[in-house]
Amino acid sequence: MATIAHYPHTEHRLDNGLRVVISEDHLAPVVAVNVWYDVGSRHEVLGRTGFAHLFEHLMFQGSANVGRGEHFALINAAGGTLNGTTWCDRTNYFETLPSHHLATGLWLEADRMGGLLDALDQPNLDNQREVVKNEKRQTRDNQPYGSWLEQVHSSCYPAGHPYHHTTIGSMEDLDAASLEDARAFYSTWYAPDNAVLSVVGDVDPATVLEQVQRFFGGIPPKGGFPTPPSTDIAPRLGREVRRTVTDRVPVPRIFVAYRTAPFGTHEFDVMQVANIVLGGGRGSRLYKALVLDRQLLQPSEGSAIDSWPFVGGATLTIADLAAREGVDVDQLEEAYHHEVARLAAGVTRDEIERAHAVITSDWLHHLSGVDGRADTFSQFATLLGDPGLINDVLPRWLAVGADEVAEVAGQVLAPTNRAVITFLPDAEDEQEAAA
Amino acid sequence: MTLITDRPSPSDPRPWTFPAFERREVAGGRVITAHLPGRPLAVTSLVVDAGASSEPLGQAGVAELVARALSEGTAARDAYGFGVAGERLGASWRASTDWDSLRCGFEVPVGELAAATDLLAEAVRDAAFADETLKRVRDERLDEISIELSQPAARAGAAFAAEVFADSSRYGRSEAGDEGTISALANDDIRAFRSARLRRSLATLVVVGDLDGADVEALGRSVFDGWDDSAEGSVVPDVAVRAAGRRVVIVDRPGSVQSMLMVGHDGPPRKVEDYVAMTTMSMILGGMFSSRLNMKIREEKGYSYGAFGGYDTRKHGGMFLARSAVQSEVTAPALADIVAEIERMHAGGVEPDELEQARAYRAGVFPISFAGTAPVASGLADVVTHGFADDHFDALRARVLTVTKAELDASARTRLRPDDLVTVVVGDAEVIEADVAGLGLGPVTVVPDED
Repeated sequence: MATIAHYPHTEHRLDNGLRVVISEDHLAPVVAVNVWYDVGSRHEVLGRTGFAHLFEHLMFQGSANVGRGEHFALINAAGGTLNGTTWCDRTNYFETLPSHHLATGLWLEADRMGGLLDALDQPNLDNQREVVKNEKRQTRDNQPYGSWLEQVHSSCYPAGHPYHHTTIGSMEDLDAASLEDARAFYSTWYAPDNAVLSVVGDVDPATVLEQVQRFFGGIPPKGGFPTPPSTDIAPRLGREVRRTVTDRVPVPRIFVAYRTAPFGTHEFDVMQVANIVLGGGRGSRLYKALVLDRQLLQPSEGSAIDSWPFVGGATLTIADLAAREGVDVDQLEEAYHHEVARLAAGVTRDEIERAHAVITSDWLHHLSGVDGRADTFSQFATLLGDPGLINDVLPRWLAVGADEVAEVAGQVLAPTNRAVITFLPDAEDEQEAAA
Repeated sequence: MTLITDRPSPSDPRPWTFPAFERREVAGGRVITAHLPGRPLAVTSLVVDAGASSEPLGQAGVAELVARALSEGTAARDAYGFGVAGERLGASWRASTDWDSLRCGFEVPVGELAAATDLLAEAVRDAAFADETLKRVRDERLDEISIELSQPAARAGAAFAAEVFADSSRYGRSEAGDEGTISALANDDIRAFRSARLRRSLATLVVVGDLDGADVEALGRSVFDGWDDSAEGSVVPDVAVRAAGRRVVIVDRPGSVQSMLMVGHDGPPRKVEDYVAMTTMSMILGGMFSSRLNMKIREEKGYSYGAFGGYDTRKHGGMFLARSAVQSEVTAPALADIVAEIERMHAGGVEPDELEQARAYRAGVFPISFAGTAPVASGLADVVTHGFADDHFDALRARVLTVTKAELDASARTRLRPDDLVTVVVGDAEVIEADVAGLGLGPVTVVPDED
């Protein structure tokens, strides 16, 4: 068993409320700058789904002292890489830089945290609206099984619940987004007292703190953040939900989603281990029974089952099962449910040992780069209030035993707590294939 | 509100070089190691001159099947047993092929490096390749292909390669094979490729990580000792192109809300003399966010989520390719813009500030690209595959910093060939065909989608 790595760090809070996490790592002359804003698609209002993500795009279009297109250009010219992402609970922005260019990264983040409104205009909004609509077409509408995410969200959360809609939103709502919406969204949520900044890498913490103070210290806090829409929901679905989607897809594929206690809870931690026993890796139950022995399931790169890290109400655990060619989809589904039921009936010590080894390596891998580590510090600080959890979660996972996995899997992966979404090839395609 | 208006200057850079590595011979095999202190994970990996380019014509995909079958059971244990053995070490197995190599091995907690290397040796030396295993691996690959081809980008990529290269060229078929070639493979074909190409003389063991306390000689012996070593040479593939001149292939996918566009032609191999100039030029054209293609197609027109272009350089040849997925309604104007940017670069070369930006990015990003164990191992695998010198990455970085506008402009004139552009569109022919035909991109062929 590998030794458990410890990631030292310090935490600070500027007078304007900005939380700062700094962690040294001098193995390579690089540094990661990572900002999480505590706003995501669950904060969106009715009729404006997809707005948090559209807004993320606007954050790359310039700010008070940064011209259009300059944000990317300045980071690239420094030899750095960058991006941003949006999900239900948060929006993050990040760059990795050669460490001597740290100040450029901090300056750019500060300028858009405090000065975006100066650059926000209708042409930028219209352009990025089209880009985002094409992102939706490329990643969803023009892809086989492309609606699976929407199906999962809408079948597990009732209409009106903040997790009912996906982060990409709807075309109609994207079309309706106005410059006024963008100004209001920024003025409401984008503020130092609603953000976490993590800096990880080849840096001197005292110097970092000085620079952070210099660049971010003058940005006024906003305070008075509105109470986000409530994510309260029953911890379980309470019944089985079934949907069939007939579409232009090559083979049947089943998604099974279960409501699960949120990120940060003990149940969530147990499910991390249970997912590996059931579907993570070539030594997992699903791989052995469905891929190797019965050859019903297509093997996949990642785990066949995963839990999402949502913090509101209930999160989801989702299995992704693509059928082998010619396999009857009902047979695949039945075989899958059988393996799930067997898990609740008992887990061996060998299986737990394998799961512990896998989860340890996966975690080391996830944190091996300064970028992944900075993002994890920000995640824990933003969602759970404590970046130090980065050092606590692995011991928690390793304390999860066989009995507990069986017990919790029995509760979470229960027939009355699942949404089964089945994609089937449409009849026209089948006829063509038969012809 | 107080924002700092002055742009910060960088502090003094910490010098960076590619991690030092060592080559040695152990038990008749080549071993290459890099010591990266302080990393909890290590990589142990075998790089073999057994890539797709070395496949017999008509057996496209056999190398990939060999790579996959290595972890599907050995003389000592079945597929499940092999999987469990690695995972109990916390080791994750990866096996893959590209045009010029087969790569397989583990990322593993450094304390289990020796055990993982033993397992790697077991896979490459003693994999059973039983009939039922090979049948399953082949059938799984065929299923995977049907899913891949349902994705527009993969469908376009296959059509593009087939249109650019001649039927006699391996480059005309997908890197990991297609339905036709794979379903035709007999179990003995798979075994024959394995015994022809998985040999000590064609293999190199790459080990990267915190090697304090690691017995590298023992790792080498574990893999190479007693491995059959009858010599087998390198294979030089046929890289003939199908034709000269512009032409268009539309793969008809009714109801598509986007068109997947690919535009390009064949290109030179990795060791071409103007490699740095050519690839820096293509970065400006389509290899970074601020590239001409992305700025035009995405940031100016909003036609797409992104547009890219660049060279795929293999050991014996390659291709130039620009691509973007665009809203169906703007297929023709987007194609016109892409071709116009290629023509503009060909005729006029780059601007000094573009070169400055590309050079700074490309040289500056080295420390980030190679900050971890796995990327360093992958870099060393490239050194092995292409026969690069020990100072390869440092020399490459230095060359990037000195390459001139004149050199880029010359590469643009010779390495971009607007008159030979092959255009592939996967989209709804009824909506786009007439407009595309009017663009002057050559004769248009519409083919039905095959799934």
